[in-house]
Amino acid sequence: MTAVSEAATSSAMRTREATVRRFAVTDMVFRAATRASAILVLVLLGGVAISLIAGSWEALSKFGFSFLTTESWNPVTENFGALAPIYGTIVTSAIAILIAVPIGIGIAVFLTELCPRPLRRPIGIAVELLAGIPSIIYGIWGLFVFAPFLQTTVQPFIISLFHGIPGLSSLFAGPPYGIGLLTSSLILAIMVLPFITSITKDVFDTVPAVLKESAYGIGCTTWEVTRRVTIPYTRVGIMGGVMLGLGRALGETMAVTFVIGNAHRISASLFAPGTTISATIANEFTEADGNLYTSSLVSLGLILFIITFIILALARYMLLRIDSRTGA
Amino acid sequence: MKPMLSTDLNAPDTTVEKAKIEVKNLNFYYGQSKALKDINLSLPERSVTAFIGPSGCGKSTLLRVLNRIYELYPKQTAEGQVLLDGKNILDRSQDLNLLRTKIGMVFQKPTPFPMSIYENIAFGVRLYEKISKAEMDNRVESALKRAALWSEVKDKLNASGLSLSGGQQQRLCIARTVAVKPEVILLDEPASALDPLSTAKIEELIDELQADYTIVIVTHNMQQAARVSRQTAFMYLGELVEFDRTEKIFTSPREKRTQDYITGRFG
Repeated sequence: MTAVSEAATSSAMRTREATVRRFAVTDMVFRAATRASAILVLVLLGGVAISLIAGSWEALSKFGFSFLTTESWNPVTENFGALAPIYGTIVTSAIAILIAVPIGIGIAVFLTELCPRPLRRPIGIAVELLAGIPSIIYGIWGLFVFAPFLQTTVQPFIISLFHGIPGLSSLFAGPPYGIGLLTSSLILAIMVLPFITSITKDVFDTVPAVLKESAYGIGCTTWEVTRRVTIPYTRVGIMGGVMLGLGRALGETMAVTFVIGNAHRISASLFAPGTTISATIANEFTEADGNLYTSSLVSLGLILFIITFIILALARYMLLRIDSRTGA
Repeated sequence: MKPMLSTDLNAPDTTVEKAKIEVKNLNFYYGQSKALKDINLSLPERSVTAFIGPSGCGKSTLLRVLNRIYELYPKQTAEGQVLLDGKNILDRSQDLNLLRTKIGMVFQKPTPFPMSIYENIAFGVRLYEKISKAEMDNRVESALKRAALWSEVKDKLNASGLSLSGGQQQRLCIARTVAVKPEVILLDEPASALDPLSTAKIEELIDELQADYTIVIVTHNMQQAARVSRQTAFMYLGELVEFDRTEKIFTSPREKRTQDYITGRFG
């Protein structure tokens, strides 16, 4: 009897040990697979960085640091400088964010705090659909509809409005081309709006109801609750949304290429045509003859890579400082 | 019980005092379901009233009607009257923000705002009063002293409210509520997330505050109700079963259901 039960136990033990061994193997495979996936990202990132540096070597070694500070971009004399595209990229993205952030937060506040329930979903979906429109459509819409509209109505109005005011008059100086830096900024603002809105809306939803209740409980209005409680509580998340939008704006190619005018110069006026890094690359890659030309375009890519990296790092650093200040 | 006795002994002694809040025929609905059934009670001024009862009996709901915080959510509706100094606060014309400056609320979990300790208190004050920096400093100090928190935080007023311990956070919330000079303070299980020592401090605080404020406290803890309140309302399944002086509720309740609950037979 005992022998039988011992045999039964030991056979049960053996099955169990076999199972444990099998688990150990699958565990190891799983661990290796996840680690490999994580490493793959680093490898890809490193590969992109290395090939960008290698590709841009020729141009960078020829022009040196002055590549960053030269405005001229002349394929005929093979004299290239990245200042105009860098300027265009940063200015258009900054203006786009400046426009999109308040609107995006406004939409998010409306959807989470004020919107009648039946309207919440339709508006939310409509905003997210904006993100689904391919950028080429923004491009042709911008070129054929939006730019002519700005050219005939908005731009002449603004030019005459600010005429003679120092600073503003040169910022909005004519002629009204329709296409240009400001038009690109507006299109970019529309394109990044859904990212900012939907992330902001999601993080607003994470604010504990009881926290809002206690703010309302001392007599706050919706504005005060949003301004002093909801937004400070969610600023990390909002910042994340803004950075995602900014990343998108910096790299957006197609729509911008259509409406920016592709002129390698820096003008004080936001109505003037300009260019961005990605627009330049997209426009000129096919016609780039000569290694130096190609290498200069790759250098632009490298610069965009670095700008994006710096902005992300700055955002992290800012969030770190905010966190340590509030002690959260 | 005989009716004669009830007029002598069982009538709450609250009737002789000035009522701060009177609830009349109050019904409350979450959508279709009725959470409060025909509640009538009157809360005397400058004293502590406790609402007790098992979970889901409607005691928190009743509390949330008193400052209309329930209106933040759709489909929650109240019918009847709640009179604050004789004026119906359920009236459409009642300004909600003004009402909530008069009736402060402290919640179960501490809810410091995401700002400094100083700002946590100054924020609410600044909403409705324009006062100088010096006056504000005084106001913050006296509110923190009121909440027995001053000595612990006076050297770090610029630290985040979130850096405090749970008990301190809760006292910060009480200080914040007191700072806007309300007339009534609603406490929704203010000590249920706290350790015994912090709980004792909060209870002491409640005892002191009743000299100046009308206080309503919802609690699961019957000893707490017995310790801090002057009158107690026992609620069950959305009804007000019994409302009387606290010692009466805990020593000789009129209703069998009250007796069963306080002796731990259900709930």
